[in-house]
Amino acid sequence: MGSGENSTRYYWAALILLALFFPVICSFDKYLLHVAITVILNVSLATSMWLIWSLGFISFAHAGFMGIGAYGSALLLTKLGIPMWYGMWIGAAISGAVALVISVPLMRTRAVYFFMASWAVGEVIKRNFAYFREFFGGWNGVFDIEPPVLALAGLEINFADRLSYYYLALLIVGMIVLSIYRINRSRTGMIYWSIHENELLAQHIGINVFKHKVMCFAVACFLAGLTGALYAHYQTYISPKSFDIWKSEFALVHIIVGGLNTVGGPVIGAIALTVADEFLRSTGYFRVMFFGVIVIASVVLLPGGLETIPDRVRRVFKRFKS
Amino acid sequence: MSNNKINHLDIRGLTMKFGGLTAIDNVSMTVAEGEIRGLIGPNGAGKTTLFNAASGRYRITSGEIRFRDRVISNLKPHDIVAHGLARTFQHVTLFKNFSVLKNVMAGCHLHSGYSYFGSLFGTRRTRQAEADNESRALDILEFVGLSDLAKETTADLPHGHQRAMGIAIALASEPHMLLLDEPCAGMNNDETRAMINLIQRIRDNGTSLMLIEHDMKFVMGICDQITVLNFGTTIAEGTPEEILKNPLVRDAYLGSSADDS
Repeated sequence: MGSGENSTRYYWAALILLALFFPVICSFDKYLLHVAITVILNVSLATSMWLIWSLGFISFAHAGFMGIGAYGSALLLTKLGIPMWYGMWIGAAISGAVALVISVPLMRTRAVYFFMASWAVGEVIKRNFAYFREFFGGWNGVFDIEPPVLALAGLEINFADRLSYYYLALLIVGMIVLSIYRINRSRTGMIYWSIHENELLAQHIGINVFKHKVMCFAVACFLAGLTGALYAHYQTYISPKSFDIWKSEFALVHIIVGGLNTVGGPVIGAIALTVADEFLRSTGYFRVMFFGVIVIASVVLLPGGLETIPDRVRRVFKRFKS
Repeated sequence: MSNNKINHLDIRGLTMKFGGLTAIDNVSMTVAEGEIRGLIGPNGAGKTTLFNAASGRYRITSGEIRFRDRVISNLKPHDIVAHGLARTFQHVTLFKNFSVLKNVMAGCHLHSGYSYFGSLFGTRRTRQAEADNESRALDILEFVGLSDLAKETTADLPHGHQRAMGIAIALASEPHMLLLDEPCAGMNNDETRAMINLIQRIRDNGTSLMLIEHDMKFVMGICDQITVLNFGTTIAEGTPEEILKNPLVRDAYLGSSADDS
């Protein structure tokens, strides 16, 4: 356990270093930076979805809550002129508040009923964006969501520039992943996993299971909303289609391929699959099919996900030694 | 221990109905502090239902359950545990993918000084509290005789150890009273002897117990008082000797010419 934990730390350090120097490594290539930002946003969505998984639930409403954060922040800018610096937090807070209210009935359901109910919630959120045309812009969506500008002591950074947006996204998503990592390692994480393992026993050791479920769901959706705001100001255009069920579905696939047991799972899963998907772009029509093959192959050949690779490698080494 | 013991568990006129079925019909009983109470009866007598009612798993139909002079009927399970009434389960119920130590540490929840933000930011107080929890969990594992296995995965333990773990988790909530649902189910003789010893030591620490058990030698040997349930009603109550002599109990267990069917 001790050596495993230490080596995990090295992997995280390597990942952070790679992320920090990636723009230099790719020699500031615009396209690669775009891919990197997409990777970062996918990591964020998958990781916050994984937080709900630590309770034992898969929420298909996750992209919907990402949408609430995105629309919140976008409309605050386009209608009221409130810059992203405030809008993203307000958007995320709205997302968290809506999640708090919805999770009260939602978290009374279990297993497959929860999947279906959360699916419905995600769909309803998306439909609402489409239905209230005056307010949300209907299927056409919201345009001209400008990235923010930061003016600090005479130094002005315009985040319309991809490089600066890359670091902005990296900073915020880094904070999101770090807080989920900390939640998971603390007693809160122990409580979530104990509910995951055995809800009955968790109740009978004095855990207010319902309260923790609601809290976890709301926090995860708050973080998804934050991700959504980052997404909106990067794309500068959002529509209900950006937050449909497929977005949740892909986040779920990222988690499954990456691994379900640690925070590293969704992170590595989102990175690997987003990059793989980008490589498949040239295959055009067959892209989805190849993607499916990769997903199935990784599940069949690598049960437990990508996060188990270090352990597998270690085991092979041990066999060679002896 | 003093002579004027207070009542720990006080059940008055408890009735549990599930649709048309009356699982428990107007049962009353009191368990004194420091007592080991046996709850016996044929299958379907309502023993586990009584546990489920007392521990908050089921809502009661009517009656009242008091614990240490507070009404606990229809509270949520986590509130009842907080009042000091803990339970174990008939089937082995553990956090199977946690280590043995982590199971018990999770059991420490109520006294862990837990706060969401404290644990998120890893404040000094939280770290201190978690260190305390760990040493307390190790003490409890020592007490139930599992301290060598602290790092093991729970799912790999033999059955007897898993039973002991269930009790360790319940003890971690520092209960005044413990409800044990068939603590010796599926155990061999050695494991049963160890369990008897454990239960006696729990009582010696000032925790009262009520236990459901089918092994008569075990029940008669360990219990101070025994309550016999049949078809949801109390048919006898008394010391093991009295229960053994009671003709109603014999009828219930061995069958009789009773004409109610």
